[in-house]
Amino acid sequence: MAFTMQTSGMAELTKRLEKLGEKAQGVASLALYEGAGMMADEISKAVHGITTEPFRYGTIENRRKPSPEEKAILENARKGVAKFHKSPDRVDTSIGMQNSGYAELKGKTVPIPLIANAINSGTSFMQKQLFMRRALSKRRAAEAKIEQELEKRLDELSLD
Amino acid sequence: MPTEYTNLVTALKALTQGEEPNVKTLPMAENEWNTRPDSDSYGIVALDFEADALHGDNIKVCTAYEGSVDLFSRKKDGDGWVEEIVNTLTAYCDGAWSLNSHMYERENRIFHWEWVFQVEG
Repeated sequence: MAFTMQTSGMAELTKRLEKLGEKAQGVASLALYEGAGMMADEISKAVHGITTEPFRYGTIENRRKPSPEEKAILENARKGVAKFHKSPDRVDTSIGMQNSGYAELKGKTVPIPLIANAINSGTSFMQKQLFMRRALSKRRAAEAKIEQELEKRLDELSLD
Repeated sequence: MPTEYTNLVTALKALTQGEEPNVKTLPMAENEWNTRPDSDSYGIVALDFEADALHGDNIKVCTAYEGSVDLFSRKKDGDGWVEEIVNTLTAYCDGAWSLNSHMYERENRIFHWEWVFQVEG
């Protein structure tokens, strides 16, 4: 469940970043962390909005909704910001449930990303609820936050 | 409903394959809810939510809607419907679509494709 986020119109900022040299990467990471945190919060909110019904066996003729247990697993799963990957000209991270491990469901050990995928995309026996895509559609706010943080922190730096 | 979306749905519902004696049609449901067309392959199309909007003078000048097309098939190659759906999406949404996921359900032996598209409204 990976996705990319892009910010445009950063030509001016990158010029200033180049001048700042070594400090630039730290500034970019701090700004990115703020934006990534916002997206992680959005995903938590979207998970909270999943509608459920008590478990029954879904069939192809009569698809079911996720059960409260499945929702609880997603709510308790780790949805943090992944380790930052730094290269000379960029800083990357990822948000989501791809590294959140396994959970116990009805006596079986099930990978959490699999449950998330089944709810998000739907299966032949489960109705789809697009909580992930709903959260990602709000990425504009996170992008604005990143740009704002960059501006603020760069101003602080250039005063030195 | 955006007209682009209505056009896309009519095109998807009219998908056919093969020559005149044995023509195959794809059962395509719109906003499917607890129903399933009885077939080897079947599809679902739905308009999900607003993807983005352009604002001017305090009104929405232009809105983009996001929707999805699902194809369930018991054949590994999607019974030839994958290409048909991709061509239809290219014709009606230009480049604004992507394959979001392709999954296999081991218990039911069903292959599942999911495309996400955006239309202008």
